[in-house]
Amino acid sequence: MDVLGNLLAGFATALSPTNLLLAAIGVTLGTLVGVLPGIGPALTVALLLPLTYNFDPVGAFIMFAGIYYGGMYGGSTTSILLNTPGESASVATTLEGFQMAKSGRGGAALATAAIGSFIAGTISTLLITFVAPVVADVALLFQPADYFALTVLAFVSVTALVGRSLLRGLISLFIGLFMGLMGIDVLSGQTRFTFGLPQLLDGIDIVVVAVGLFAVGEALYVASRLRHDREEIVPIRGSIWMTREEWRRSWRPWLRGTLIGFPLGALPAGGAEIPTFLSYSLEKRLSKHKAEWGRGAIEGVAGPEAANNAAFSGVLVPLLTLGLPTSATAAILLVAFQIYNLQPGPLLFTNASDLVWGLIASLYIGNVMLLILNLPLIRIWIKILAIPRSLLYAGILVFATLGVYSIANDMIDVLVMYAIGVVGFFMRRYDFPVGPTVLGVILMPLAEAQFRRALSISQGNLAVFVTRPLSLTILLAALAALVLPYLPALIARLRGQHPQQGRLVFGEGKED
Amino acid sequence: MSADHDQSPGAGRLGPRLVAVVLLALGLLIFVQTFSIRQGGGYSAIGPRFFPLLVAIGLLLLSGLFLARTTIRPDEDLMQQSADEEAATHWPTVGLVALALVVYAVALGPLGYILATVLFFPVVARFLGSTRPVRDIIIALVISVVIYEGFTRALGVRLPAGLLQGIV
Repeated sequence: MDVLGNLLAGFATALSPTNLLLAAIGVTLGTLVGVLPGIGPALTVALLLPLTYNFDPVGAFIMFAGIYYGGMYGGSTTSILLNTPGESASVATTLEGFQMAKSGRGGAALATAAIGSFIAGTISTLLITFVAPVVADVALLFQPADYFALTVLAFVSVTALVGRSLLRGLISLFIGLFMGLMGIDVLSGQTRFTFGLPQLLDGIDIVVVAVGLFAVGEALYVASRLRHDREEIVPIRGSIWMTREEWRRSWRPWLRGTLIGFPLGALPAGGAEIPTFLSYSLEKRLSKHKAEWGRGAIEGVAGPEAANNAAFSGVLVPLLTLGLPTSATAAILLVAFQIYNLQPGPLLFTNASDLVWGLIASLYIGNVMLLILNLPLIRIWIKILAIPRSLLYAGILVFATLGVYSIANDMIDVLVMYAIGVVGFFMRRYDFPVGPTVLGVILMPLAEAQFRRALSISQGNLAVFVTRPLSLTILLAALAALVLPYLPALIARLRGQHPQQGRLVFGEGKED
Repeated sequence: MSADHDQSPGAGRLGPRLVAVVLLALGLLIFVQTFSIRQGGGYSAIGPRFFPLLVAIGLLLLSGLFLARTTIRPDEDLMQQSADEEAATHWPTVGLVALALVVYAVALGPLGYILATVLFFPVVARFLGSTRPVRDIIIALVISVVIYEGFTRALGVRLPAGLLQGIV
């Protein structure tokens, strides 16, 4: 198919006045909610999902793309000025960004984050344009066994590479897998784990899970520590722009961050945490200003922010072409597709070509809008940070309830969501990563269906997963992801040295 | 107010242990419930019980390991974090917010969206430390009316009118 022709048609769709307006609303809302401390892109998208119920699909997805990107841009502002990463992919940014803000260079940090995000977003969108159709063609060859292997890879990589404890990551994953099993089993028609609630017959809604874990879990956690924690907002002195020197030090990290972020985001290997930390340590190693690290080195903001944005764009490739979400945010985007009875996957590019290309075109437009929103208008967003915590979290709870209640006007849905919120509270408290739960819920039905389909094709022969070269390769990659973090410690021990740390950690902290 | 008091060596052990026990109970519940799933007739190699069983056994094993990490071979980092959390936690706030949430969910239908929200928002803001109730009520009124009108009129999403039926 002719990519350029399709893209032009996509731009024709995206540039219609209605769709431009929807894109503008999307990026504004996304930035607005993304700036709020404690709210990351996943929750932003989940909370704003009900807004699009009655739109036509193309317009709704254009708005969604705006929310998705906007949530990311907004999150970097919070990370830099408040030292509160909205999600684990922003943790790397806070390390140097907050230090820059404290030493009066917050303006430069915000500028390098916004411009870096723009450059990474645009290059990545360009890559999506040309890579996604190719992947979609290849994906047509995928068999159920390969799909099952892909879900295993996604489970393992998210669980093993993120968070401080593999054990707690796996427990988190299994809680998600359990919730993913609830409802009527599609293949046999039997109900499972509904505990007598008819609301659970269709399974547990991912919006209920995400809003509960992220919004209510976070609000309860903040409530528990409210009388203990104090936050400071660092005021911005001077202009939000960069000096010639800062430009010179930023552009290479932007490009390197993009090149690290996009492929790692596009692989079904677990979102944006790993690339941001890889970019952070790479820039630290390459930097000529090593003395500045830890006290506000601009490379440490430019690289991870670009990597973050590029990885978020990369995540769209497996989502659109394979129907495989590899991050919490992507899982919620998948729900948005399901609302419109669209199944992302290789056929999406032929069945809903105008939607896909309109969406891709709107990513280019959204990035330009966000650059404008986040540079000249940044001071408006900073004001949002001054909202008192009490009102902020009361408001988050109101919107969380609204988001879930408006699905079906059902009290039970809301109560289930609150219960999941209590689980989320304890997960935060005892440092269980939340991401694997969300991924477990969304991918369990897919994994089970593909597993059983593969076995019925092979007439019950389990060897089908290892005899197909493709699924074998993917399963080996999953095994590697499981073993990789222990490798440095293992090698050290084999050499007879005492290992410095048990296992490599790529991302710490909260991932909502 | 909870000040940082001296932490005894065993501080923070209880929380993770309780979590481990709850997880074990959940694993057991899944295991038992799995056998009440009816095996569909038909000839598929793998029935509806296979994955639930896998998840149940997996969770039982993992929570057993976790219990061990809180008792026999304690994970010191986790125990330290748990002790810090315990020292910083103000339980009454958590309980009150949770209670307010449940009341809010139950009241949404009968009272209607606007009234329930106007009651819920200032109360929770108060629990979370706000000291300006009048401002909070005004904010709640504005937010709830805007959401109600916006959702029901502009977006076509139904929200309950409740007691204000016929007025809004």
